[in-house]
Amino acid sequence: MGKPSVKICGLQSVEVLKSMINLPIDYIGFVFARSKRQVSGNQAAELAAVLGTWQSGKIPESVGVFVNPSMEELEAILSLTPLDIVQLHGTESPEFCREVREQLGVKAFKVLSVKPDGTLHGGQPVEDYEGVIDGLLLDTYDPHYGGGSGVAFAWEQAEPYRLWAKERGIPFLAAGGLHPGNVGELLDVMSPDGVDVSSGVETDGIKDLTKITAFVERVKGNMTLNKQVPDEHGRFGPFGGRYVPETLMNALIELEESYRKFQDDPEFQAEIDYLLKQYSGRETPLYYAERLTEHLGGAKIYLKREDLNHTGAHKINNAIGQGILAKRMGKRKVIAETGAGQHGVATATVAALLGLECKVFMGEEDTKRQQLNVFRMKLLGAEVVPVLSGTRTLKDACNEALRYWVSNVHDTFYILGSATGPHPYPMMVRNFQRIIGDETRRQILEAEGRLPDMLIAAVGGGSNAIGMFYPFVEDTDVRLVGVEAAGRGVETEYHAATMTKGTKGVFQGSMSYLLQDAHGQVQPAHSISAGLDYPGIGPEHSYLKDIERARYYPITDREALDALQLLSRQEGIIPALESAHAVAQAVKLAPEMGRDELIVICLSGRGDKDVESIMAYTEGGAEL
Amino acid sequence: MNGAAVNLMEKTFSDLKAKGETALIPFISVGDPDPETTVDIIVELERAGADVLELGVPYSDPLADGPVIQRASERALVRQITIESCIDTARKARERGVNMPFVLFTYYNPVLQTGLDRFFGLLQEAGISGLIIPDLPFEESEEVLRLADQANILLVPLVAPTSSSRISMILSRARGFVYCVSSLGVTGERSAFHQNVDEFIQSVRAQTELPVAVGFGISNREQAERFAKICDGVVVGSAIVRKIEESLPLLENEATKEQGLLQIRDFVAQLKIKN
Repeated sequence: MGKPSVKICGLQSVEVLKSMINLPIDYIGFVFARSKRQVSGNQAAELAAVLGTWQSGKIPESVGVFVNPSMEELEAILSLTPLDIVQLHGTESPEFCREVREQLGVKAFKVLSVKPDGTLHGGQPVEDYEGVIDGLLLDTYDPHYGGGSGVAFAWEQAEPYRLWAKERGIPFLAAGGLHPGNVGELLDVMSPDGVDVSSGVETDGIKDLTKITAFVERVKGNMTLNKQVPDEHGRFGPFGGRYVPETLMNALIELEESYRKFQDDPEFQAEIDYLLKQYSGRETPLYYAERLTEHLGGAKIYLKREDLNHTGAHKINNAIGQGILAKRMGKRKVIAETGAGQHGVATATVAALLGLECKVFMGEEDTKRQQLNVFRMKLLGAEVVPVLSGTRTLKDACNEALRYWVSNVHDTFYILGSATGPHPYPMMVRNFQRIIGDETRRQILEAEGRLPDMLIAAVGGGSNAIGMFYPFVEDTDVRLVGVEAAGRGVETEYHAATMTKGTKGVFQGSMSYLLQDAHGQVQPAHSISAGLDYPGIGPEHSYLKDIERARYYPITDREALDALQLLSRQEGIIPALESAHAVAQAVKLAPEMGRDELIVICLSGRGDKDVESIMAYTEGGAEL
Repeated sequence: MNGAAVNLMEKTFSDLKAKGETALIPFISVGDPDPETTVDIIVELERAGADVLELGVPYSDPLADGPVIQRASERALVRQITIESCIDTARKARERGVNMPFVLFTYYNPVLQTGLDRFFGLLQEAGISGLIIPDLPFEESEEVLRLADQANILLVPLVAPTSSSRISMILSRARGFVYCVSSLGVTGERSAFHQNVDEFIQSVRAQTELPVAVGFGISNREQAERFAKICDGVVVGSAIVRKIEESLPLLENEATKEQGLLQIRDFVAQLKIKN
């Protein structure tokens, strides 16, 4: 049997429909019945014209959705817009269906509404429609709205109808309450010929391409994931893009062009590979944490030891890549923003290595929390610029670095440290960090002969997580788990849980999820970990969340500290506070999983930089 | 779109051109120090000879702004100023009899969270003529341009000395006036401008019929005169915002408020170039 067909219903916007033409969709539905999605015959004609330009597979069939129409009404609509199928949603009789087919020369689909108890609402028994319809659609019945109200009916009630349709050789479609998150489950339990969706692929009442794409992918299997993002505009679905002052546009375009040029240059890649190996010490081990595994008593836990990199964290992977790119582009000065100081140290290190002048912007608050790293950067010859604006943390350091870059764009390269910011940074940083996932994949296959069941990584801006996830995105059996900082708890004001509590918006150059108030002002974040203390998140993570490929969970300061101590005592490894969040999530999930299941935690950094602040909490009684 | 209505800003620029005058375009942060005083300041700015007014919406992360406007934003945000209260302030200034056209200067996120349709509705109701969104470059502006055109609100683009080959593309959809950025960097007073600023402005002028205004860093009469010779409008932002900041002690006291307002008016009046 082929893949189930997909029917997207309730289209109203030509632009949205145009954005869908690369997706394998089988039916496009226009609603002529009274509804918030109702279109006129003329509007439908304009929409139907788009179908002729379809790029993926065959052209979708056009479906008109009606509730108890008269023949005159149908004739009037059909004179304006050619429809392949008339879908009858009311209490139309079998005789009426026959007339529609015979007099109008279109196919007739009948919709039957199932009540929660499995009986039909109104209409006639399905047997009466034998020989007069070309397709059967089963929908939810809602006493207020009739059908099509978007509530999932009890799927197991559908089986007799499916069999009836199958025996008569006509397609059977399931509808009502479907969305990208439940359609997979539906297909598991009832195997219809097709599925119909409308409100389940909308956001605020408007069709949402990300959700449509996710829905289609769930039904048809992954056909586009990984290959397409970002597109030429730096878009991951609706996320990403390039929202910066005009003054920076040419610099970003130049950066993107240079990156694309050097990306394919074997010498450029060889130079990076050499430094990653000989200078940073890659590849990093994939270590089986046996005692932690035994302690938790569930899934087998591996640690990807990014903490063993030179400078103590994954940040060096990206700093080496961008540093060499800066040099190739002839820029002698580099700048960077830093939160915990890890990216600042990595950039200062690479600048020293490559003989570049280096300035690191760091929120004043963070310079206090991470004095050791401030001193390290100075020792490496970098200038540390304390940032006094805004909340004096990572986000303000980013703002200040961007402001400085605007003024000095002619001779300065901005080494951005996370998978955030305007295009091409999220793509470029991901590509420099994907070595984490690439190695992990190879190593776990060697160790276990199969892929892991779950990857867990901490997410601030999200560079170690996206580097770990990216090579596994198409392996849909591998669960991707991002862990964000819940600070004192997501129910308080003091957290950095962008995915759990944030909404979509534009921040620091890209569209993504964001902690903000109702008026679009960015809200301060809070976390014990300076590296996760950030109100935004990289756009690719927002995309993975929306298509439900990755899941994101919050971990509190307390849980992270406990996990840090646990790992220290069980394995003799002191993780960075950032990475301790990932460990804490494993502590929650591993015991629920079977002993034959595999988890890989990205241990993004080591904890030396944090010992002073940890001491303040554990010994000094500082309040979380 | 109401095609018959001439936008007030277009009319102002054509009247000035007929008189041979350069537009003085002040920028202020709305709500600094509070919305009522902002209305008072707007009244004074018109008396001082301002022709078009940029109303800055305070934002938590003003990427394109230097320290002076950052501080003003922070002061306004403490008072919970929102994009809607800014639009409302424009409406109140109109009610006080202010005639000059208003341009709302706002970062994109507050616009997005207001909802584009609703936002343009509010602008129309308040009689705001134009819009500047410093972090919405041409490539991301399709939807905003479409709705702005529909609402007859002029989306004023920024062009920079580094824009080079992008200039013609940006000008193709420009309306109202073209805002030339005099120097690379954030807003704020400065003594030197981009080395090729004159050639840059000439090249923009050669490519458009629209009025050309210059901004970023212009802070005194001498600089205003310098640019008045080669363009149709001069934007002065940080210098005025700083003057307001300096006048805060006077403005915040009822007994001395008038004196503070006069001080601001005098400063702005000497920036107006009448050729």
